[in-house]
This record gives sequence, C-alpha cells and structure tokens, in this order.
Amino acid sequence: MTVIDAQGLVKRYRTGGQTLYALAGIDFALEAGEFVSIMGPSGSGKTTLLNILGLLDTPTEGTVLLEGQDVTGLGDSKRTALRKRTIGFVFQHFYLLPTLTAVENVEVPLLLDSGPQVKKRARTLLERLGLGERLDHKPDELSGGQKQRVAIARSLINSPKVVLADEPTGNLDSETGRQILDEFRRIADEDDVAIVAVTHDDLVNEYVDRTVHLVDGTIGRERKNGG
Amino acid sequence: MARRNLTRTKMRSLLASLGIVIGVVAIASLGMFGVALQYSFTQNLGNVGNQLTVYPNSGENVTELTERDIRTIRREASATATVSPVKTRVEPVSYNREDEVRETIYGVENPEELYEAKEGRVSPFRSGALVGSSVAEAHDLHPGSQITVNGTSVRIRAVLEEGDAFSPTNPDNRVIVPATSFSQRGYSEVYVMESTGTQANETAMGIRDSLNNREDRVFVQELGSLVDTIEEQFQIINTVLAGIASISLLVAGISILNVMLMSTVERREEIGVLRAVGYQKRDVLKVMLMEATLLGFLGGIAGVILSIGAGLAINHYAVGDAMAVFRLPNAWYVGAAFSFGVLTSIVSGLYPAWKAASEEPVDALRG
Ligand SMILES: Nc1ncnc2c1ncn2[C@@H]1O[C@H](COP(=O)(O)OP(=O)(O)OP(=O)(O)O)[C@@H](O)[C@H]1O
Ligand SMILES: [Mg+2]
Repeated sequence: MTVIDAQGLVKRYRTGGQTLYALAGIDFALEAGEFVSIMGPSGSGKTTLLNILGLLDTPTEGTVLLEGQDVTGLGDSKRTALRKRTIGFVFQHFYLLPTLTAVENVEVPLLLDSGPQVKKRARTLLERLGLGERLDHKPDELSGGQKQRVAIARSLINSPKVVLADEPTGNLDSETGRQILDEFRRIADEDDVAIVAVTHDDLVNEYVDRTVHLVDGTIGRERKNGG
Repeated sequence: MARRNLTRTKMRSLLASLGIVIGVVAIASLGMFGVALQYSFTQNLGNVGNQLTVYPNSGENVTELTERDIRTIRREASATATVSPVKTRVEPVSYNREDEVRETIYGVENPEELYEAKEGRVSPFRSGALVGSSVAEAHDLHPGSQITVNGTSVRIRAVLEEGDAFSPTNPDNRVIVPATSFSQRGYSEVYVMESTGTQANETAMGIRDSLNNREDRVFVQELGSLVDTIEEQFQIINTVLAGIASISLLVAGISILNVMLMSTVERREEIGVLRAVGYQKRDVLKVMLMEATLLGFLGGIAGVILSIGAGLAINHYAVGDAMAVFRLPNAWYVGAAFSFGVLTSIVSGLYPAWKAASEEPVDALRG
C-alpha cells in the first residue's frame, strides 16, 4: 500500500532578486514497511523534501497524497493534526526536552491527551528499544545512542504510518549508528511503518530497501537493494 | 510541563517573580497604609461629623444665647438629637492648694448626655465638679479630691472618660460645674448631637435659617462637611499611592516579558519539535501562558504573604492594633494587588507566547 505519493514537487525560495529551486520537480512514492534513505550533497534539498513529506512545509508546486488523501492545500492546524496522527519525526540533534525523563519525553506528542495507556505504551516502546533500565533518567544522564533511541520511541508513540528521520546517525559513532539502524529496520519490518532517513552516511545503505539520490533538487540515479 | 520549564531556569524565574512580589507588596502595603491612616484619623475624629456647636456671634454684639435661642435649637434638631447648652466663665482655680490660675469653668446641666465617668459618678450633678482626664492627671485628682474655685472649696465627683481629640465637646482639659451654680442667664455655646452627619448638616441649616434670618445672631460650626472633605482627600492619597505602586508592577511586567522572551529564544527548537510532533499553535500558546501564569501566581502568593506581614506592622504602628489588618478594605487592596500581579504576568507573557507559537516549525528546526 502506498503511504505517501508526491508528484512534481517544486520548492522555490525567493531571496533578494534571485529565485532558488530547493526542489525542482520531484516524484516520490513510499510504500508501507519500506525503509528508504535519501542521500545527496549539502544543499541538494534533502531536508526540504523531508519537511514537505512530513507536512511541516508546503511545496510551491506539486501534490502530496497521504494515504490517498490530497493534503497539499491544507492549513496549518489541519496539517498539525495529521502530523500528530500519522507521522513520526526523528531529528539529528534528538531535541529531547531536558526537563523531562525518558518516559515523559516519549509521551510528549500525546501529553495533552495522555492517559494511563500512553504511559504504558511509552514504557513498552522504551523497553523494546533496550532502555528498560533508563526509563526515569533525564536526557543529560543518557548517552547519544540512548537519546536517539528515546527520540525513536517518541516518533513511534502515536503509531505513525511514516517515520521521517533527518540524519538520525549523524551525531553517533558507527557502532551506535548500526544499533539505531537495526532498530529502524526492525520497526519497518515488524510494524509495517514506512521510514525515510536523510543521511550522509553510507552505512545506512546496508539497511535500506532503496536509496534516493538528490542532486540540486532533482532525483539522480536510484539504487535498489537486493534484500 | 510549565512547572518543569520554570524550575529549569530557576534563577531567572525567581528574579521575574521577585518583580511581581515587589509589585504586589508595594500595591498592597501602600493601599493598607492609606487605609490605616484614614482609619486612625477617623478614630480620632470619632463622632465629630455628627456634632455641631452653636456660638453667639460676638461680631454682631451677641454675647450669649438666650433660653429662647435654646428652644429654637431644640425645635430645629431632630427628635433623637441631644441638645446640651453650656455656660462658661473664667475664674481663679487652685488645685491641691497650689497657686491660683485663671481657668474657663464650664457649666453643664446634664453632663450624662455628653460624658461618661472614668472614676466616680457623673449624675446626679447638683454640686461639686467634674474634671477631664488630662486635668486629673496633671494634678492627681480623684473623686473626693478638693479643688478651690473662686475661693470656694469644691469636691470632685468624677474624672471623665477621654473624648475624641477633635471634638468641640472634648472634656480632657476642662473643669465642669453644675449650670445652676452660674449666676448668668445666657449660654455661651450649645452642643447638638445628631445620629448621622447628614442629619447634623440639615439641623445646622435649620438653625441658621431660624436664628439668623434678620441678623447673624449665631455662628454654627459643623465638622461633617469637613470630615467629608478629609475623606475625599484620603481617597485621592490612596489613589496616588496605588498609582505609584502600579509603576513597580509595570517594571515587574517588563521583567517577566524579558524572561519569557529569552526563554522562547532559548527554547526555539524545543517549541519547533512540539509543533512538529503535532502540538497546535494554541497548545504551545497554552503551555507558554501557563508558565507566565504560574510565575504570576507564585509571585502573587509570596507577595500577599509578605503584604500581610507588612500590613501587621503598619497597623501595629499606625492604628495600634496589628489585627486591624484583617479589615475589609485591606482585603480589597490585597486582592486587587494579587490579581494585578497575576494579570501583569499573563499580559506580559502573551506576546512571547504568541511569538513562540506562531513561528514556523521548519524555521525553528533549521537551526
Ligand atoms: N527558508 C529558506 N529560505 C531560503 N532558502 C532556503 C530556505 N530553506 C532552505 N533553503 C535553501 O534550499 C536549499 C536546500 O536546502 P536543504 O536544507 O533542503 O538542504 P539539505 O540537502 O538538507 O542540506 P544539508 O545536507 O546541508 O542539510 C539550500 O540551498 C538552502 O539554502
Ligand atoms: Mg539538511
């Protein structure tokens, strides 16, 4: 099943007198349970694409279908509500709230309508990610890999259809990076969640189903992994 | 969450709510100070506002009030009023065989209408003398003591209870003898005691109308209107004091604005994450406003506690009764100060909260 189907995405920025094409016509489709990486040089539009797919940003041209529904023209509050329901984010710098414990950080997306089930689910997720011993630690008491795992748990708390990760291993050593990628792989396979990871890291390509190369806002060669 | 965020920036939150604390204390204690001033003043005034005094107008060569004048005054006064005509003369007095001094002696018919005894009995009053508390203290007089008035020995019947400081009937420095011992017929002043200030005012006008219709025979002194003016003045003083205190709240508001602005800058990315994971603008707004409100509340509560402390001290020194702080107008001032404190912090939290909520998460997260 196609979770996200984006056609003819263009993102223009007008800075000063010039027009800059961050994205110059991109088609991108994502199936459930697929793990895709986006690679490309700095400034090629990776983050921009990810933000548009994640309904954080709107394209200048083109359409985005989320589970078959056209979400291109939706206003901020509708997009926010959709993000909450179907999308999970993992950021390079983790962006955990420093005052909250690991469990509470995982609960954050659903904190405003939290109940006992949310807390239980947060615990289960953390335990699944091997952080059963660290539930009540604050972020500054956790290592980088542990923080990223908390962030992944947070992205899964709302049972999303898609998880979008911008350089999830960028701040981690390769050993920790592998553990994180293992988790992503597992999540994609077990939970049927589609995962898009922007990365500079060739390590990622060992784990993904396919890699999309972006060059100057257009899709370059695409490589399918056998597995 | 708001609470956690505040504890993170403890020092700064502390400073911000300190501003609110000071503002609240300033408003509340200046307000209470005004109330205490007014209270202690009206305490001294006592019933002055209900009293009026009628004097003969010596400018028109009227030296005393006649029995007819007294009847007119009684007619003009309301049914519940007491009308006490008083005679005076100056005579040599000697206390405890000391040297004679010339004093004004007051002749009163029914002293029980005007005075109460601190020692001894006021009525019946057919002979002897009553003395005010200051006179009694100065010369160590008690019921039974003897003084000499114009060469005749007189027994003290009673020492009188202290009167209201500003009252024309205040007996503290007086020697009072029965009016019957006066040979003169006329009266030198008449006290009229009404039950309310407005009634006193009406009576005063009535007396002027009937006694001064041809010539200005009498001079009617009433303090009611004066009391009103004084109370208006106090109202103005209180308003000015509250105004001054509001300035300190304004400063507190600015410092909260600063704290909240800094915290939005600092937490730009965090707020971006919240927006990304599905917090609506109004959710972020709520969280931020919660913080500001919490700051205001904590500061306000601390301020109220300190103000009550300050109020106890103020009332102890100004009114002589610390417990007077628990009077209604004070509660009003404390309540107003508290709500102003909370309101100030909410208002000054509004702009930073709005700013934080309305930033595009994409921009916040690009950092
Ligand atoms: N708000 C903006 N205003 C103007 N230009 C922008 C804006 N956001 C992005 N760009 C430009 O769009 C282009 C693509 O940016 P994007 O962040 O998607 O690159 P990227 O592939 O993620 O790069 P990196 O690997 O360094 O993160 C860049 O040239 C960037 O300067
Ligand atoms: Mg990027």
